[in-house]
Amino acid sequence: MDSTLFSYLDYAVYGTAVLVMLIGFYGAMVKKSLLKIVIGLSVIDSGLNLLIVAIGYYKGGTAPIFSQGFIDNFKTVSKMTDPVPQALVLTAIVIGFGVTAVALALVIRLYRHHGTLNIDEIKDLKW
Amino acid sequence: MVGTPVLFIAIPLMAAFLIPLLGMIWKELVRIVPGLVLTYLLILAINLLNHVLVHGPIVEVIAGWVPPIGINLVFNAFSGFLVTLMIFLGLLVWVYSYRFKRNVDYEPALKYFLMLMMLITGSVGIVLTGDIFNMFVFIEITSISAYGLTAFYKGRNSAEASFKYVMMGSIASTFLLLAIMIIYAQLGTLNMADIASKIHLMDPKLKIVSYIFFVVALGIEAEIFPLNGWAPDAYAEAPGPVGAAFAGIVVKAAVYAIIRYTYTIFDLSGSFSFLILIGMITLIIAETAAIRQEKLKRMLAYSSIGQMGLVLVAFGFGTKEGVFAALFLMLNHAIIKSLLFFSGSYLTYNSTEKKISEVNGMSKYLPITSLLFALGAFAIVGLPPFAGFWSKLAVLTAAADSNMILIMVLVLMVSVVELVYYLRVVNRVYFFKKEAAVKPQKPTFNGLIVMLVLGAIILLIGFYPDAVTGMLHKATNSLMDKGQYIQNVLSLK
Repeated sequence: MDSTLFSYLDYAVYGTAVLVMLIGFYGAMVKKSLLKIVIGLSVIDSGLNLLIVAIGYYKGGTAPIFSQGFIDNFKTVSKMTDPVPQALVLTAIVIGFGVTAVALALVIRLYRHHGTLNIDEIKDLKW
Repeated sequence: MVGTPVLFIAIPLMAAFLIPLLGMIWKELVRIVPGLVLTYLLILAINLLNHVLVHGPIVEVIAGWVPPIGINLVFNAFSGFLVTLMIFLGLLVWVYSYRFKRNVDYEPALKYFLMLMMLITGSVGIVLTGDIFNMFVFIEITSISAYGLTAFYKGRNSAEASFKYVMMGSIASTFLLLAIMIIYAQLGTLNMADIASKIHLMDPKLKIVSYIFFVVALGIEAEIFPLNGWAPDAYAEAPGPVGAAFAGIVVKAAVYAIIRYTYTIFDLSGSFSFLILIGMITLIIAETAAIRQEKLKRMLAYSSIGQMGLVLVAFGFGTKEGVFAALFLMLNHAIIKSLLFFSGSYLTYNSTEKKISEVNGMSKYLPITSLLFALGAFAIVGLPPFAGFWSKLAVLTAAADSNMILIMVLVLMVSVVELVYYLRVVNRVYFFKKEAAVKPQKPTFNGLIVMLVLGAIILLIGFYPDAVTGMLHKATNSLMDKGQYIQNVLSLK
């Protein structure tokens, strides 16, 4: 792969995205509090969204909007970033929001049923 | 032509969101409208399936963007067969739960039917779509409504089961999105047919990584062994008909997705033996776990997981016989497991623990329900002359044709385990003395009708398997013919 295409900035962005995902996995897998688990799941989503947007980035590209400004600057700025990952991320953010909302509603139900948020004390359904 | 495939998604989705508004006009509409919608969709599905079996697949372009740019829906013999099966089961679930519990009043009924419609929309969408990101969206629609349905009863410990499901499902969606993005970053397309025609351009290592991510993500919905921790709890805590909906609709959709990725999109050489391996592990672990369950619904859930393992094994043969056997098994499992969930939830209707020991002697009080439960138990184990016999025979002959004697032996051994735990329940229902604690509950008229219909179908397929084998053969051919699928989608102008 051409080295100019894959710069330090890319490494920094991809590395950050993966790091955020790993932090989220840590939160979801290790923490005992139900709220922290939900936060962890939400952080995983954020890291993934960052990664997806980074995949669509194109060095020196403009926003993928077909506007008057783009037509005027067509000679100088001829590149657009890939719009598909951005559209996908919008969808993924909405879905992640929905899942987080459902999870938090379930946390409230669990708290009312068990009187605690510690998963070590909620284990009626172990197999 | 009476309609197009997009109606399978548009109509139930619109109905789901109109139900609360219609409920303001007349409360009974909340219960009636889903039934009308599902009846219409079933008629449409049967018509389209007949059309497709004669004239070849229908590929529908959404919003005028032809593939590979736009999203397309593919209604061929394989996906059409699954859509018809799912909508038929959805209709039965609706009839059964129309008056499932007398004390379920307006507001719970509203939520129940809303989420049921969303569940059916999502599952049908997974099967019909020809775009991997669109499939992700439908998987999320299915999952979120499944979380809600799992946590439906406030009295039971259902929130815990649902939370487990949310955790696994949320991580699954992360993996699914990662796999989709790996493919997009490599090939620059999201259309299944386009990916399938370009997959040889992809780096083999990345191909394996994305395939594994797909299988892990979908395996959670499809109840593959290490990923199925949510399933027994969800089945046990959710309302009875929802268990049938999970086994018949959601799991089928997830298995379809795995099969679509394995057969059409990826061309990995080891993926078939991988399917056999995970299927076999799932089958053995689930059936041995089922035998030591004390709760009836958990036992049925583990049995359902085991059946899905067997389906994956049959798909893993990679031959026409194997695919035919797997499709036959999916059909039988959908029908028989629904009957078992429907009748089983009446056998343990008034007990709080839902233990197997509480079904003792129920045959004297609930003769028809008990008879139908026994019929379902015999059928799923594979005793002749019931429907399950033919599918198990098809699996065994497919294994023999592929020279996999070890698989045959293992499947037969596991069938014995299956026989033991089902006969244990049937034995208790018929030959044990009833315990005073549990009051038997007469099934509602609707519930009885649904169970009798399912029992009749089991007997029909059992005595006359040719009623379905012709369709299954056509579905098999449409799945195996990868080039035809690609050409059908990409030749659109």
